[in-house]
Amino acid sequence: MRGLKPFARGLLPFVALVLAWAAVTRAGLVAEIFLPRPEEVLRTGWDMALDGSLWTNIVASLGRVALGLVVSVPLAVGAGVAVGLSRRLAAVLEPVAGFFNSLSGIAWLPLAVTWFGLGWVSVTFIMVNTVFFLVFFNTLVGVRTVPRVFEHAVRTLGGSRRHLIFQVLVPGAMPSIVAGIRMGIGFGWRALIAAEMIATSTGLGFLIFNAQNFHQTDTILVGIITIGLIWLLTDRLVLQPLERWTVERWGMVSAA
Amino acid sequence: MDGRALGDGERRVSTLRHRTGRFALVVGALVLGWQAFLALSAPRRVDGALATQLEQAEYANITVTLGFPPEDFHIRVFQTHGIVSGVRGTTVLLNRVTPEHVRRISRYYWVQRISAQRSQS
Amino acid sequence: MTTRETAVTWLSLLGGFLAVWSVAAATLPVPAYMLPPPMAVLDAFTDLVVKGILPAYIAESLRRMLLAALIAFAIGVPVGIGLGVSRRLAEFTYPLLNFFQSVSGIAWLPLMLVWFGFGERTILVAVNYTVVFPVALNTLLGVRSVPRIYVNGLRTLGAPRWRIARDVILPGALPSIATGMRLGLAYGWRALIAAEMLVGAHGLGFMIFSAQNFHLTARIVLGMLVIGALWLVLDYFVFRPLEQATIERWGLIQR
Repeated sequence: MRGLKPFARGLLPFVALVLAWAAVTRAGLVAEIFLPRPEEVLRTGWDMALDGSLWTNIVASLGRVALGLVVSVPLAVGAGVAVGLSRRLAAVLEPVAGFFNSLSGIAWLPLAVTWFGLGWVSVTFIMVNTVFFLVFFNTLVGVRTVPRVFEHAVRTLGGSRRHLIFQVLVPGAMPSIVAGIRMGIGFGWRALIAAEMIATSTGLGFLIFNAQNFHQTDTILVGIITIGLIWLLTDRLVLQPLERWTVERWGMVSAA
Repeated sequence: MDGRALGDGERRVSTLRHRTGRFALVVGALVLGWQAFLALSAPRRVDGALATQLEQAEYANITVTLGFPPEDFHIRVFQTHGIVSGVRGTTVLLNRVTPEHVRRISRYYWVQRISAQRSQS
Repeated sequence: MTTRETAVTWLSLLGGFLAVWSVAAATLPVPAYMLPPPMAVLDAFTDLVVKGILPAYIAESLRRMLLAALIAFAIGVPVGIGLGVSRRLAEFTYPLLNFFQSVSGIAWLPLMLVWFGFGERTILVAVNYTVVFPVALNTLLGVRSVPRIYVNGLRTLGAPRWRIARDVILPGALPSIATGMRLGLAYGWRALIAAEMLVGAHGLGFMIFSAQNFHLTARIVLGMLVIGALWLVLDYFVFRPLEQATIERWGLIQR
């Protein structure tokens, strides 16, 4: 209940936006086909929710996100820690990882389609590599910034390499890793939508691109709103709290 | 108010000028040099006979010779300059090209030669 | 670690990578077009340059980015400042800006296609949209982060509003503006590539996309390398130094 007032206050701008939208469409400033009325969009959305077409596409997109995360995060963290163990290797690979960072996402789509053809594999691959490179880079940086004093402490106390990895390096790098995951999902979600427009026939990206073919602007708007809402909810309710908790739990700078 | 805003900051700003400024200068010089090269090498590509023909006529039908068989990209580029009427090996036949467009085509470094079409066959 | 050691490690890694790639390309039982050897990528580079295709597409993409940067700066900064000076207005519009930023320009592309068709304008609108929001948002945050004490200080000295804006608010917000530009352009570059693939009006995205249609995989790889390299060069020589400089020159103590 405590969060209700700020929540309502945060909702107000959007209510105002919808009202403005309704006013513009009623005033006849824009043709119906370019900007449908809010109630049209609501009705279409409702129909799509009822007949299931909205859910199948949402599930398809989110499923690819989940699969991409499950595959790439362990790989990226593992690779990042493995490389990070050798300071020399880490110093060299960091710029390389940075290069692949700037390359990640949709630019891989033609290559992915060449290898895997059209379909969910290519699209999920885009998600995988976007998250992988970002988390790999962030893991590298995170491991590198763990103060050596901790490593030495573990070694002096007779700790094995496993101890070093799991009790010092990984926790120490956690804030950076989680920040990387959050960024990865952010970039990855966008790249995923774009990839779905090009290379597959299910998912939210496909939904809105296909609707464009038939000039079904109300469907397009339903899709756009869904895409925005999903990201908003995920970021607000899951990712940001996770990041905050990680920093408080393992961050080396005290959370002010 | 800390003194950093005036002291240390000045030095760092000059690092920015150093890297970004150098980059801008190099890029600018390259761009200018390239434009100059294009402008200078363009006239050589146009056949003498065609040049005289263009001084009088409003349009010309031309043959553009490339060093390679043209791809989609080149056809599309040529379509903005005239009507593509045929492709023979490494040459492209373009109809109804104005002198201005011939000049623009001559500025493409990948074009070897522009000449008048021999006969309307 | 000395520069010599770095260089040696670099070269051996690169060499090893190229070697593995060549061997894989030669021995893996897949059709030739799936894994072109490194030499093929180099050949594709010379081929595309000789034919004038690569420079033209690079220029096309860069031109669109430059335009987006200018427009986003011209719109985003004033809007951010205008919204940021009033606490009420800033708090009211912040959720909206945040929401629209997360719905990237690409998601709006189908709607833009209905409005403007398959052409240059659609690409520009989508990319400009993508860049404007981070700029406006960060400008707004930057303006809000200027400590009131500076503004009030100038007010007590009787400075007019525009003077406060120019001498206190604008410099104070500059680091955030630079960050917003850098972030917006990072999103924008990716959105541009995606838009070029979908709309098809030339550009690097279009190049790698159409290369896939003809199974010219070496061109795809080359295009990807160029896309990554262009961003790196721009980020290293322009965006990061600018951001760094604004922080160091005008950044506030609490940073």
